Amino acid sequence: MSEDSNPAATPTPCEDIQGDGRWMSLHNRFVSDSKGKEPDVLFVGDSLVQLLHEFEVWRKLFSPLHALNFGVGGDATHHVLWRLMNGELDYISPKVVVLWVGTNNHGHTPEQICGGIMAIINVIHQKLPHAHTLVLGLLPRGKSPNPLRARNASVNDLVQAEVASLSHASFLDMDPGFIQSDGSIAHQDMYDYLHLTPRAYQRVCQPLHERIRSLLDKHAP
Amino acid sequence: MIARMSTEENPAAEPAPVIDVQGDGRWMSQHNRFVQECKDAEPDVLFVGDSMVQLMQQYEVWREVFSPLHALNFGIGGDTTCNVLWRLQNGELENIRPRVVVLWVGTNNHEHTADQVAGGILAIAKLVLSRLPKSKMIVLGLLPRGEFPNPLREKNAAVNNLLRASLPQLGPVQFIDVGGSFVHSDGAISSRDMFDFLHLTASAYRTISMTLHELLLQMLEEMPQERRALLV
Repeated sequence: MSEDSNPAATPTPCEDIQGDGRWMSLHNRFVSDSKGKEPDVLFVGDSLVQLLHEFEVWRKLFSPLHALNFGVGGDATHHVLWRLMNGELDYISPKVVVLWVGTNNHGHTPEQICGGIMAIINVIHQKLPHAHTLVLGLLPRGKSPNPLRARNASVNDLVQAEVASLSHASFLDMDPGFIQSDGSIAHQDMYDYLHLTPRAYQRVCQPLHERIRSLLDKHAP
Repeated sequence: MIARMSTEENPAAEPAPVIDVQGDGRWMSQHNRFVQECKDAEPDVLFVGDSMVQLMQQYEVWREVFSPLHALNFGIGGDTTCNVLWRLQNGELENIRPRVVVLWVGTNNHEHTADQVAGGILAIAKLVLSRLPKSKMIVLGLLPRGEFPNPLREKNAAVNNLLRASLPQLGPVQFIDVGGSFVHSDGAISSRDMFDFLHLTASAYRTISMTLHELLLQMLEEMPQERRALLV
């Protein structure tokens, strides 16, 4: 699927419809932040990445790894692609890039979303040839079974398969079993059936932390 | 001007549910959960509004300061005055008698003018006071937003000015503006206070919670506990 025909893989900034320019402010801040820092780990993605920074778990597990957080709420793959191609990778060379995006790609097929994620992995590899991209699986969402759960699961299957043949990227399933036996997701895990509570973040971040640690260890000379 | 704007004229005072565009029905799921909570709980304080309310519950400050007051949180991210009005008219005020209702909504009313937004907030306050005649209200002013000065800051400030003038006339309603400390002398808002120049960080919530908590304690102490029907 070429970039031209896949909207999910076409770098696109977010239009300032509301009128306070917040998306561009965040992007500019990430670029200028990156000029002063030397992160070993870069987290990039949507609100699931962004909110992670606001809870204790970030300070406990990821700050010690010298991690930067470039998450923007609402971002879809084409927004992240644009950001990474327009400065956010230009001044840093993290060893591991953690990528978590795709759940906001409304209107796109799983194939398109996978294409968007692969395009991002590609850009990271071009700009940071020595970095490893760890792609996080999309989580289920919604209180009860719904089409978006199926869509996200398909994206995960497609991405996992495509990434298997790459040495510079790998996939991590982030779902510790949020869907209960009756098919529902608890609001104690996702307070709005999409975003994680601090306790759910604790659950998903343990394995993530371990995987990042082992990637960093492999990376060390 | 606001008093003359009837519901028919003000789109921000038209109750409306959120339509499920994305496909996972999350808004209705949250509303239904709140309606169920009304059946199970006996809150003394009810918080209702948008993500400014909702996110507060995810930080430690909620557990430390507001849970002990027997508070319920009916915040939904993205909600406008129309959405909150609909929720309150469709079950979220049933079976509960909170002594104080805290309302924080209006920053997401992108289609509406400052006058309309203020009118929408007033409509919600009127509804709450008519359904809960023994309750008091706290209405929080809209916070400034965006990293630098922009039209939405002016709009939110205009809403606040209108509310400051007209809310007290409705009854036991207190308006508080907790946005004062967030804009620095150069006009910028720090990401240490608003991580995306809209939503508050844990430390910013702590700052505003002190004022809010004090006011809540005052209001709760002023009101004698409503005696339950004598079960002697």
